[in-house]
Amino acid sequence: MSAALEIKGLEAGYGPLSVLHGVDLSIAEGERVGILGLNGHGKTTMLRAIVDLVDWKRGEILLNGEDITHATTHALARRGVVLMPQGDALFPGLTVKDNLDAGAYPGGSWKRRKERRDHVCEIFPRLGERLGQVVGTLSGGERRMCSIGRGLMCDARIYLVDEPSLGLGPGIAKGICDTLLGLDLQGGALLIAEQNRALIDGRIDRTLRMHGGELTPDTGGDGGH
Amino acid sequence: MTGVIVTTINLTAIYALVALGVSLTWSGLGFLNLSTGAMYAGAAYGAWLVATNISSNVVVVLLGGVIAGAALGALICLTVFLPLDGKPNWELRTLTATLALSFVGTNIYLWQFGPQFKQFDPLFAFIREFRIGETLVQPSKTGTVIATGILVAIILAFISYSRIGLGVRALTQSVEGAALVGIDRRTTAFAILGVSGAFIGLAAVLLGQIYFVEPNSGYSPMIKGLIVALLGGLGSLRGAVIAAFLVAFAEALTLQYLGGAWVLITLFVLIAVVLIIRPRGIAGVLEGTRA
Repeated sequence: MSAALEIKGLEAGYGPLSVLHGVDLSIAEGERVGILGLNGHGKTTMLRAIVDLVDWKRGEILLNGEDITHATTHALARRGVVLMPQGDALFPGLTVKDNLDAGAYPGGSWKRRKERRDHVCEIFPRLGERLGQVVGTLSGGERRMCSIGRGLMCDARIYLVDEPSLGLGPGIAKGICDTLLGLDLQGGALLIAEQNRALIDGRIDRTLRMHGGELTPDTGGDGGH
Repeated sequence: MTGVIVTTINLTAIYALVALGVSLTWSGLGFLNLSTGAMYAGAAYGAWLVATNISSNVVVVLLGGVIAGAALGALICLTVFLPLDGKPNWELRTLTATLALSFVGTNIYLWQFGPQFKQFDPLFAFIREFRIGETLVQPSKTGTVIATGILVAIILAFISYSRIGLGVRALTQSVEGAALVGIDRRTTAFAILGVSGAFIGLAAVLLGQIYFVEPNSGYSPMIKGLIVALLGGLGSLRGAVIAAFLVAFAEALTLQYLGGAWVLITLFVLIAVVLIIRPRGIAGVLEGTRA
């Protein structure tokens, strides 16, 4: 069986700046992997490189054995590579309902969007109460829920989650991470980048450490703090 | 005063159509379409060809203009958007390209149709004129408002409830977010430019009831449409409609009390004042959102 996601010798960056210096990673189907590391060491760049949101990249990325190195962002979303990005990239002028439905845009999911939306509202009841509200008026925590909820609207083969705790108060961050990591992802793999070890420790299969644009085995410790 | 109101409503409909076309293209794809005027004239010629060769039935002629406008929108997608998308210097290149296309279009019209004015037969002759107080409401005005209402309702329903429509709305909000949920900007661009063209096409046929059609007849509506779109806050559809109303009202008042020569002056004063107070236009007032 081929890995859900396999990355070989990935280098990536923006303009003249090189951020990743040869990253290798293999994630099995259904596996949950955490990446710990400080700001500016390449966690976000790695996730963005996978979905083609960096200026340039070299190396190889395989999805279930198929080469997706040069696939475009929207094509990857349709093939089940779902990024829940830093900064959320929501649609601020649209309602919560429309934001969630947009997550079901890829062909097959669209017909089941209502059932999916109900499911997301069970996971995050706060969103259910605010379906008609414009996303730009939500609080930071609610927006994060909406971003994660949007990612859950389609059948992903791999979820890429970029620092779900960023910018949130500790209580809300913990609540959201607990909910996210407690989910049954229906066989989808999960790659989560986080600075705060405590939020993901013990809830995932293994952790790696991103340092200076390279992935190294996690040796424990304080997660960079 | 009823005269001013009737004129305002009539002009609101037409300006809103052109401004919606400009604004939707801007918000969805991020470029200012300076060939709006050429699309307008092209759609008017398209509708005129339909009226003279196929049928002068009101629905057929209006559809002719709408479809011609949408087709020209798709043509702009093919010739401007797809080749330039993702290239550096996007804003300047698209401005140049659409301006160039507008000259090409105008000269093609001149070559094909000559400089003579073309005129539509009255499309709305079947509507009875009526009076509100002292003011006579001509059939063309009633027809304009009804036709605009129908097209805007259809397109709003399409944008509000269909999957492609959600893609269009998402794209106007966040390009990255749209890509992340699988929306292909390049295919959605056809929908955006098609709908923009449809709005402009309808405006062309409706104004064709009042003004003659000639190769340059799109420039003046384009200027008004740009003013309205800018005033509304480029990219905001609700802002565009409200701005269309403001501009139409200012124009109607000016026509009534100062005379036609003052129209552009009051409009530019209006836009200057609004943009000094609200640099983002009316949309800045509408959106109470956090950035």
